[in-house]
Amino acid sequence: MTKFIVRRLLATIPVLFGLSIILFAFIHFIPGDPATAILGQHATAVRIAEMRTYLGLDRPLPEQYLKYVAGLFEGDFGTSFVNGQAVLTEFLRKFPATVELTVAAMIFAAGVGIPLGRFAARHVQRWPDGGVTIISLLGISIPVFVLGLTLQYIFAVQLHWLPASSRFEARSALELQTNFVLIDAWLMPGWSIDQKVGAFIDGVRHLILPAIALGSIPLAIITRITRASVIDVSNEDYVRTARAKGLTEKRIDGRHIMRNAWLPVVTVIGLQVGGLLAGAVITETVFAWNGVGRWVVDAIGDRDYFIVQSTILMFALIFLVVNLLVDIGYAFLNPRIRYA
Amino acid sequence: MKRTRSGALLVAAALLFGACAAGASPSPAPKQGGTFVVAMPSDINRTDPALIDDATSSYVETQAMEGLVGLKPGSATEIIPILATALPTVSADALTYTFTLRAGVKFHDGTDFNADAVKFNYDRWLNIPAAYTKLEYTYYIDTVIKPNVESVTVTSPTEIAIKLKAPNSAFLLTQTLIVFAISSPTALALGKASDPDFANNTYAVGGAGAMTGTGPFKFKEWVAGDHVTLVKNADYWDKAHVAYLDGIIFKAIKDSSATLNALQAGEIDFAQTMSPIDGKTAAADPKLQVFDRGGSCNLFHLAMNQTHKPFDNPKIRQAVAYAINKQSLIDTFYAGQAVVAHNWMPPGAFGDKDVKLPGYDVAKAKALIAESLVTDLSFDFWYPSDVSRPYMPDPKGEFEALLRDLEAVGFKPNPKTATWRPDYLAAEAGGQYPMWLIGWNCDWYGPDNFLNTAFFGYRNRSDNTFGPNEEYAEKNDAMWQAMDGALKTADTAKAAAGWQQAADLLAADMPTVPLLSSKPPAPAAKYVMGFVPNPALTEYFNTVWLNKQ
Repeated sequence: MTKFIVRRLLATIPVLFGLSIILFAFIHFIPGDPATAILGQHATAVRIAEMRTYLGLDRPLPEQYLKYVAGLFEGDFGTSFVNGQAVLTEFLRKFPATVELTVAAMIFAAGVGIPLGRFAARHVQRWPDGGVTIISLLGISIPVFVLGLTLQYIFAVQLHWLPASSRFEARSALELQTNFVLIDAWLMPGWSIDQKVGAFIDGVRHLILPAIALGSIPLAIITRITRASVIDVSNEDYVRTARAKGLTEKRIDGRHIMRNAWLPVVTVIGLQVGGLLAGAVITETVFAWNGVGRWVVDAIGDRDYFIVQSTILMFALIFLVVNLLVDIGYAFLNPRIRYA
Repeated sequence: MKRTRSGALLVAAALLFGACAAGASPSPAPKQGGTFVVAMPSDINRTDPALIDDATSSYVETQAMEGLVGLKPGSATEIIPILATALPTVSADALTYTFTLRAGVKFHDGTDFNADAVKFNYDRWLNIPAAYTKLEYTYYIDTVIKPNVESVTVTSPTEIAIKLKAPNSAFLLTQTLIVFAISSPTALALGKASDPDFANNTYAVGGAGAMTGTGPFKFKEWVAGDHVTLVKNADYWDKAHVAYLDGIIFKAIKDSSATLNALQAGEIDFAQTMSPIDGKTAAADPKLQVFDRGGSCNLFHLAMNQTHKPFDNPKIRQAVAYAINKQSLIDTFYAGQAVVAHNWMPPGAFGDKDVKLPGYDVAKAKALIAESLVTDLSFDFWYPSDVSRPYMPDPKGEFEALLRDLEAVGFKPNPKTATWRPDYLAAEAGGQYPMWLIGWNCDWYGPDNFLNTAFFGYRNRSDNTFGPNEEYAEKNDAMWQAMDGALKTADTAKAAAGWQQAADLLAADMPTVPLLSSKPPAPAAKYVMGFVPNPALTEYFNTVWLNKQ
């Protein structure tokens, strides 16, 4: 297993290298460039040329690429063309917000989707199965933007049950240190336990609506995959044998069905991480969530190359690591799987 | 007798009613305390007022920073002294503006405010590092200070003289911009505000020394992309106007509907702006109120470039003007919160005049097209995507409405779109579009800012000649001479006449079709008191207080 992990980690290097080249080329071939973005209405041909020289954009692309990669090895991910802020610093400040949101969304999607899928599989072709199918269809059909605003309107505006936006109460005295609200609530110096618990609960309450909005599509997918996987495994011979031997349904379900049904579900969960990171863009905008998604979209519009390149590379690295963990998880779920 | 008794009863009843009415709703006394949460449509760009050019940064930094002069609360044009004790005396040749400064004022960091501090700031602007200019951080310094200011001289600790290169009737109004607020020299040095390498500048990025002025609020923190926090300056020099609030949090909420939800949910107290449709919803909510700004400082126009056919033909341009139903646009997209344009600047600006622009007249439009003898009426018509502007809240929807108006009189526009930044702005500024949608949110409420800066001023072009800008290609020497003369005179009557003449000449030529000026709604919770709205969006929160438990 150790060799497998090391091999997979080493394999990420050429993957990231190849991705960086493709990304660099792709971004530079999009029409427009940072010079025109910065100059906006003041853009004239002369000013654009001056700005491109100042930003180093008139250098040959390979030279620009090598300079960028050299900077990466030194921990310099570039600076924003728009506001001059260091990309790595801003990424590290915003990334925890996106992590909290995507983890919460995945907990919601898996925490609700797996039981729903199992429930549907146990009542195949009957009305509970139909009901779960409808829920899945709704989850995948309603645009995240619409769902987000609707959730805000119902639960925040009308019912006042949950907050409408942001990561914590604006008037709170909470000061971010790690930029994970749920951790920083416990780190506030001089606060009583009550205050810390209150801040933690406030952070959780602020997470609920955006997590539901973001997790709605993965919820639908996980529900359907779980349902299909459980049905498939339930029809296997060894399950029929187990029933014939007189084992209880609970034992059959736990030891035989779910242990084998997990594999495709875990695979899908791993793949959904990429979708969640992408979907966070819209959710972060609707809920004024200060994460990376919203930042990257603005950077694409501004042709702020360093932000786009560096952030997508980091997302790719996260995606690769998550899927490595998924593969490792297979070995624990199914002892027959061995990695050389 | 009966009449007398009835009359007496009526009088008594009236007196009693009056007493009850007077006693029923006394004005509440302002309450101290509370944190005011304000939603802004975007985040600020920098914490150095000299390096900003966007409305959000201006709005936020107006609370902490002050200049020699400013705008009177509620007025877009009336200039009042702020850090000066009075409006400046102007020399006979209109070149030298002498300000007497307030004594005993301190910056937020305890540094004394005096003439040396003012000179430090002006000299800094005149010598701002070239790197900042190359990054386009110094738009107002480049367009207002450097072309106009020759020198700044300290004549006493409380007196400073600003000498111009040439008379400029708009100069004093430009100095009300928060860009020209006076920062503490100590803080500027601490924050390396003039370091040639912007990466070392902490003053501009919310770090050491950031946003250190003399205002009723002090800078506390900027969490980029999320919020800015200001706290009350209890030592504010103007003791009669110390803030009631403990602090202000400016939250960046990009989406208008999300802002409305946050306001209705009680998470924010005030939204600096909102789409007109959401503003209408807010007005109907009994827990909310919508402040009327009374006017606006923007203009939305249907732009044409005369280097593209058929807009080289003046009858075609006039026909376009008659083809557009402006009131219908206002009713459909602005919830009625806009006025039909009667000039290329909003109503109420200095030198404003109703130049009797064409009204909606389909028959007249068709007749002009026939008179023009132009047979090819097809052209590309552009609108921006991925943006909403105060003067143009729904670009696609408004574009479709205008498209229908144009087609109804026989034009054949080809719909085209591009993303606002950088593609659309760069292309339209370069004169690549025959017809497109654009507008202007003013920098200051002056005719020069619209007619000259934004629209038709002659300037240095990419081929190193001086003439009509590439954006509209409006070659109208008489118009330029009128504008230039209005700019260069200190005689206000002559300046007004010059702007009016320029507007008349533009009306005769119709280079673009001014459509409307919109009033962005200012919704707030009902308990927000003391807010004084301003059409130019220069609004001060030191008079705001929260009437809640």
